Amino acid sequence: MKRTLPAGPVLRLLLFALLGVFVLQSCASVPSATSATTRSSLTTESSAMTRPALPAESHIVIFHSNDVHGKIDNFAKVAAIIDAERKSGADVFFFSAGDNFTGDPVIDRYDPPGEPMIELLERLRVDVVSVGNHEFDYGLERVRKLAARLPVVSANIEPLPGAFPELRPWVVLKTKGGIKLVVFGVIQIEPGNGLPSTHPDKVKGLRFSEPLAKALELKKLRAEGQVFVGLTHIGYDQDHILAKQMPELDLIIGGHSHTRVDPAEIVNGVLVAQAGGDNQFLGRIDLRLEDGRIVEKKGRLIDLSKVSDEDAAFKALIAKFHDNPAMARVIAKAPVEITGKNALGSLMTDAICKGYGLDIAFQNNGGIRLNRLPQAISLHDVYTLDPFGNQVVQIDMTPDEIRSLIRNSCEKRHEIDLQVSGMSYTVREDAAQQIQDIELLRPDGSPLPENRNYKVGMSSYIASSYRFAHKDAGRSLGITTAEALIRYLESGPDLSPYRDVRRAHYQKVTGSSRD
Amino acid sequence: MQIKVNGQTIEIFAGARVKDVLRKYSLAEWTLVRKKEKKVGDQYGHEVGLDGELNGGEELVIKACAPAESRS
Repeated sequence: MKRTLPAGPVLRLLLFALLGVFVLQSCASVPSATSATTRSSLTTESSAMTRPALPAESHIVIFHSNDVHGKIDNFAKVAAIIDAERKSGADVFFFSAGDNFTGDPVIDRYDPPGEPMIELLERLRVDVVSVGNHEFDYGLERVRKLAARLPVVSANIEPLPGAFPELRPWVVLKTKGGIKLVVFGVIQIEPGNGLPSTHPDKVKGLRFSEPLAKALELKKLRAEGQVFVGLTHIGYDQDHILAKQMPELDLIIGGHSHTRVDPAEIVNGVLVAQAGGDNQFLGRIDLRLEDGRIVEKKGRLIDLSKVSDEDAAFKALIAKFHDNPAMARVIAKAPVEITGKNALGSLMTDAICKGYGLDIAFQNNGGIRLNRLPQAISLHDVYTLDPFGNQVVQIDMTPDEIRSLIRNSCEKRHEIDLQVSGMSYTVREDAAQQIQDIELLRPDGSPLPENRNYKVGMSSYIASSYRFAHKDAGRSLGITTAEALIRYLESGPDLSPYRDVRRAHYQKVTGSSRD
Repeated sequence: MQIKVNGQTIEIFAGARVKDVLRKYSLAEWTLVRKKEKKVGDQYGHEVGLDGELNGGEELVIKACAPAESRS
């Protein structure tokens, strides 16, 4: 006799079975809070029973760049190279390993910032972008715009709810023949504050976990595709460590350290690649697969200075981007022209001091590249005044350590070299050109208290080139000196004091003065 | 953070780049690197860019460029 089960229990059984399959598949493939935003369709594609037959032979070409830092000129060559390869019929991908933003004022100051970079990456049909620390330099909103238009991955960025819904921990890409590439991203963090190397204000609303530990949690993704890729922005030495700890990976394509890895290196069976920086090289990885298994992998760099083919449309677009009208934008108006090293250096150091809560700031005369700023000060003027891209560095110093810095600055030419904010100083030298005394005064003219430390700001050039005593090694504030000045000028300060200002003095003991 | 250059430990501010470490190590060597008479590599033998960012504990090696590299 044929038994029939009541409809209720059958339906419940089916529902439990479906729920079980769903839970198992979710646990196996998709981590944490951002799973809902992933591009992958792992939960529906991972079943071996439904997997289509993979091609007997496949050839995959992955082009990659990293740390372009706004250097867009060579993208016309990159476009020509990638386009030619696509036309050949191969499965071609283009990956970016982060830090596309920051480094060229024309791109940084575009309206909106970095727009040329985003548009060019879109036109290059980049398949996946890993977030670099400098992606945050324009603020989180610009990274979100980037991620809204391009597939952006990073697994160790953990946004607070709603802060960065566009971010995905990984993506799954597919070749025409059905080969799947699982690609996750990770970003570097600093050991001190646990944040990427950018100004902390730029990453508010985000939390970051340790990149290697996070990558190791993703080992299970190996089973979800035929090619498993770490698209990292942690530096080559960390990529090396990752390769040793995670042989499940087929490739690590990295950035951050601007390392020219040519040819790509096999470490513990993992091919580790990085393409220098500043868009001077394009990385190319060739993968050959048989029945979905990698049988050969190799990578090399293409030196773009030796490439002559350029995509004409890209070239025209790049020329248009370089003609950035925003650079002529007036950001401040002074009552008179600001002239001379004393006035300009005072303005530049006030920008560092007042903008970032520091007590004192220094600027060397050699880093002041204009003799005057016009009354109507444009972005172009600021970048001409301060073109070097030096970082603002904070070092906590005693008064004697400050004297040590000033002493070193005067030893070469026996004249004032460092402009200052937050104090004034007088260097006294004897007839034998020996410095006898360095007097430090507060802005009100009283002696600078000796029994405390001061938060001192200076350019990374001073911090690294001048020889002075300091127990605190210091830290970059993740902003350039030019950006600090722009921010200060845009805040609308009273510029009339810069008409006539002198805070540093050099005196001979004979009585003569050479300011 | 600490970076080794040619075996010598350099203490430098967190967030320093390759060029900062070279200047702190030796202004004379930095000048030669800028003139492309010398170049900088990492502990694995790969050349690194002067704007390359560093993690504490890394090692850099300054070495002479081959004559053809110096001219380029």
